[in-house]
Amino acid sequence: MCDYYPVEPIARERDRLLQRSARFIGLGSTVVALICFSVPGVMPFSTLLSTVPLFVALMLCLYRVGVNQSLVWIVLGILSGLGILVVVQLPGETPQSSSLGAAIVPLAAGAIASFAVVLTASVGRIIVLVVGFIATVALAELAIPGSISVQDAEIVIGWVLAAVFGAWLSASIPRAARRIYSIGRAHRAERQASETEAQRRQGARLLHDTVLATLTLLAHSGVGVAPSALQQQASEDARLLRQLRLGATPVPQSSGVYNLEPVEETALGTTLESVKQRFGRMGLEVSWHGTGQVLLPSGVLDAFLLALAECLENVRRHAGVTDAHVTITDDESTVRAMVTDAGVGFNISDIDEARLGFKDSVVARLKDVGGNARLFSSPGAGTTVVLEVPK
Amino acid sequence: MTDYARPEENTLGVIVGKRNRAGVPAGSTAGRAMRQASARGASLGTGYLGVGASVLAWLQGAYGLGMFLSHAGDYPDIVPAAAAWVVYALALIGVAVTIATRGEKMPDWLFGTFLLALAGVVVLDLLAVWSLHDVGRYATAATSVGFGLLVALTLRRSRELLAAASTLGIVLVVAVLLTTQLTPANIPAQILLITVAMMPVMFGLYIVRRFRRIVQLELDRVLVQSTVSAPRFAVGMLASEELARLDLAAEELLEAVATGRTKLPLSPKTASIAASLATELRLHLIEGRRETWLYHAITESEQLGKSVTLADRGSLAGLLDPQQRDGLLAAVWLLVSDQSKATPTAQLTIGPVTAIPDPGSKSIIVPLVITTTAVPRSRVDPATWDAIGKVGRFLDSTHNSSLRVAIECIVVNPADQ
Repeated sequence: MCDYYPVEPIARERDRLLQRSARFIGLGSTVVALICFSVPGVMPFSTLLSTVPLFVALMLCLYRVGVNQSLVWIVLGILSGLGILVVVQLPGETPQSSSLGAAIVPLAAGAIASFAVVLTASVGRIIVLVVGFIATVALAELAIPGSISVQDAEIVIGWVLAAVFGAWLSASIPRAARRIYSIGRAHRAERQASETEAQRRQGARLLHDTVLATLTLLAHSGVGVAPSALQQQASEDARLLRQLRLGATPVPQSSGVYNLEPVEETALGTTLESVKQRFGRMGLEVSWHGTGQVLLPSGVLDAFLLALAECLENVRRHAGVTDAHVTITDDESTVRAMVTDAGVGFNISDIDEARLGFKDSVVARLKDVGGNARLFSSPGAGTTVVLEVPK
Repeated sequence: MTDYARPEENTLGVIVGKRNRAGVPAGSTAGRAMRQASARGASLGTGYLGVGASVLAWLQGAYGLGMFLSHAGDYPDIVPAAAAWVVYALALIGVAVTIATRGEKMPDWLFGTFLLALAGVVVLDLLAVWSLHDVGRYATAATSVGFGLLVALTLRRSRELLAAASTLGIVLVVAVLLTTQLTPANIPAQILLITVAMMPVMFGLYIVRRFRRIVQLELDRVLVQSTVSAPRFAVGMLASEELARLDLAAEELLEAVATGRTKLPLSPKTASIAASLATELRLHLIEGRRETWLYHAITESEQLGKSVTLADRGSLAGLLDPQQRDGLLAAVWLLVSDQSKATPTAQLTIGPVTAIPDPGSKSIIVPLVITTTAVPRSRVDPATWDAIGKVGRFLDSTHNSSLRVAIECIVVNPADQ
């Protein structure tokens, strides 16, 4: 069992999220900066024109940062941003507008600062961050007429927010990842437990067979069975299901056909007696003939008894008689049961075997253990089923 | 059944009640794990992210307060502006204290009070700067309100926050238009004001959405990972739970009949319940354990379930050892989850075993072919090749301009086990 989870996928996702965030803030701020720059009077038209290539470069770098981890695009992007700050303060014919200060804030505190989001992961990147920050503040200070101003503070807060955001976001994901991995470990344990539980429940086949038989009776509203008998059967089945649910191994009772103990071999006789009693309560008298004691492996016995019970259930429901005969014989290799009734019978070709549940519940299960079943019937002459399982 | 207070959001940070729209089917493994984890009142990382958002709000608040103090002398009447800052500080402190004492949640009453307080801040601040006729330059607390909304970022629904931010933006635009004579000199400051007021929430929502998606995918991947240690055939988590549920339902019905609470003969309705229980139970018992870990991994995963198909008639995937399974799962995951625009798919075909094993050898070769659509060879993550290498020797080619990988998995011959 491997007990590790590779960290790479989520780390890659984290980097991608940081990059996309930088791009999101950066491109948004660049657009706002361009709008501010384009307000007539903020700067001479010629200056505006000469910043356009730098803006294009900045946007391209921001776009690339969104998909590429390389430091090159970050540095190029910061340089294009700084380039704009230089261009806007080149001496021109007209004196610089007083609104230039406010206009460069989205550029310096947003577009350039957005690179800070992806610059907190390593020492090298932090150095780039610090250099970029100092250069931006210095150039902005030169561009803005007057002393230390509101705009400087805005630029500082822009960079601080971007850097804090980047650092915080990159710390959030490993934290979430640790939680996810502990949930994953718990889940694996749960899956194993659930698998074991499913095995246990599916293993309790005989219990389920009697439950299914009772449920089938109830599906017919319990018509044709004495209510007290049905109640007693239901009570026993409910008790066994409860035991199964509580994790106990229900003790097989002589009054039911369940065998939940992992027994290697079981005597057929005692369990046959319990089948007889169960059908007796439902109003079908079963008479046994032939071998009383045959030892069978427990899986084979399960299938055999299930098939037998299904056949008797069919007799009880469809044959219109109150008694059935079961003859058990065995030779060196095979145990054979012949279930006969003197009921109404039917024309085999008229009745779909699947409708009787014959194929699914009788043939399929016997085939599972290497056995077989054959059906003989004609109208008015009763029905005979021969079940065979290997010893 | 369980009597616990439902948290505002579950482990994936999805607000409760919105789960299905967020794309996690309630019946999927991730959905179940989410419910289990949320039962313990846990949140997966978004809590910490929310704290980070609050930190940003506080930082910006401190900055705004500094700005306010720096031109406190310009105000004709400083009282409303100062009051705005007091209310803003109280609102942030109030929310922080509530979250610290009552857990990471923001019930309606708290959010309502918080919004009211913020509205008060905006009104007070605008009143204070109204007569200065330059909102963009002098408004301070009103600008910070945009950041203030961040404290509710991970605790409330996106549309509520978006509505709040938009209202703030509109109010500020109206205030600017009413008070300020727009000139080239002051337009940039006004644009900046509106941007700062609206950007934080929009950006924050974008981040939170992406973050939740990452966490969700990772959880999905990690949960599915647990199948690598499953036995060759397994029933899957849902089947076993379903069987337990049916057993319990049967037990309750039988109990009711046994105690006489349900009268015999049964009403047609109860009888039909019994019939459908019997049918379902029979199906579950017959169904048995025919599926492999890979089938369960694909069906239980949200991500793989929608993009991966499996053809494994011989249930040969069950023969792969845990390391091969791990590699295969990682490779398929990388192939189908790594594209942003196109929706890639992968088809896994396993078997049939044709090569005759060497006499005396205890292993056989199982051929496994991964056919993809919309996965160009050039865009495959390098980690994919390492992962495929763990499964076995492989040959990759391009088929319909998408990747195709044929792998030879060497597994222990089941006949020798």
